[in-house]
Amino acid sequence: MTFQEVLEKIKAKFSSITVPEPSPVKGYSTAKLSAKEDLFPLMKMLKEDLGFDYLDFVTAVDWKGPVDPKGYIMDPNPNPFLPEGATPQSMPEAPTPGFPYRENFEVVYALTNLKERIKIFVRLEIPRSGAAVDSVVSLWKTADWQEREVFDLLGVIFTNHPNLKKILTPDFIAGHPLRKDYAHVKDQYD
Amino acid sequence: MGVKIERFPGGDYILTTADFMANWARESSLWPLTFGLACCAIEMMGAYASRFDFDRFGVIPRPSPRQADVMIIAGTVVKKMAEPIYRIYHQMPEPKFVISMGSCANCGGPYYDSYSVVKGVDKIIPVDIYIAGCPPRPEALQYAVIKLQEKIRRLKPTQSNATPDQEKGSRTW
Repeated sequence: MTFQEVLEKIKAKFSSITVPEPSPVKGYSTAKLSAKEDLFPLMKMLKEDLGFDYLDFVTAVDWKGPVDPKGYIMDPNPNPFLPEGATPQSMPEAPTPGFPYRENFEVVYALTNLKERIKIFVRLEIPRSGAAVDSVVSLWKTADWQEREVFDLLGVIFTNHPNLKKILTPDFIAGHPLRKDYAHVKDQYD
Repeated sequence: MGVKIERFPGGDYILTTADFMANWARESSLWPLTFGLACCAIEMMGAYASRFDFDRFGVIPRPSPRQADVMIIAGTVVKKMAEPIYRIYHQMPEPKFVISMGSCANCGGPYYDSYSVVKGVDKIIPVDIYIAGCPPRPEALQYAVIKLQEKIRRLKPTQSNATPDQEKGSRTW
């Protein structure tokens, strides 16, 4: 079985699947999903019918453009040897012209069929406000902590997750730090 | 400082001061806690191993804070680790000393603008010796121990009612 055969099978069932471009990650092929409701049935089909029994990882990407960081202890002139009023060393990040910034999260699943030795990325873009997708913990137990990490750092809600709470950041950190518009509130250790 | 140990004429006795004896015992067996946080801990392990041989200074890592005199903060202190470090420090018996190893433990270092890093371990516990470097070489850690021994030599445990913590001029916690 090759990736093309897998693609034909899942395309026959889910019409929203496209193949955007060759994946930049070596060995993985990408299937892009545009309908959020199709995610769980697609994953179920990939696992149970097509033999993708190993979930490499779950992660997410924030495609919002650069914003002014708020709340961080950013010194505009961190070099103490520069005279007063000199040009700041660290300028705020400028958006890259022509880059398709968008108000979306992209949730990425990497799956492997260990028997057939094929790998697949499943990508799904969801809007940043009220981002929520179905959890795949009932298919792969590995997804439990990974989805908690994505929730902790980016704030994507995984519905039907058995234990969706913070996993990495301490309890007093409010918000989701890897969001582009994260505003840090100073705590007792800053 | 002058001669602190004097042989009693014609006998098997020596004369010295209690301060000198206590300080000599303290400085010659500085047992650190086996405790590493990040990449500085790799250099710390190198300092313990045979090439640099920390045993020469009487520095032997101990597995329990109840047996330790020194805490070497080797690495980045994240905010989630701040509470365990505070608790371990208070589990150590007096007199206790802290060596802050590397830029991250001194002030946050390259992670100063991060959301998750404590900006210097001296925000949570008092520090005796700071070592610069990212990471410092094992020689630098040994130099810090020598500096700590010099600091201990200047303490006067018998001449004041102050605790060793106050003798050192540290903050009270």
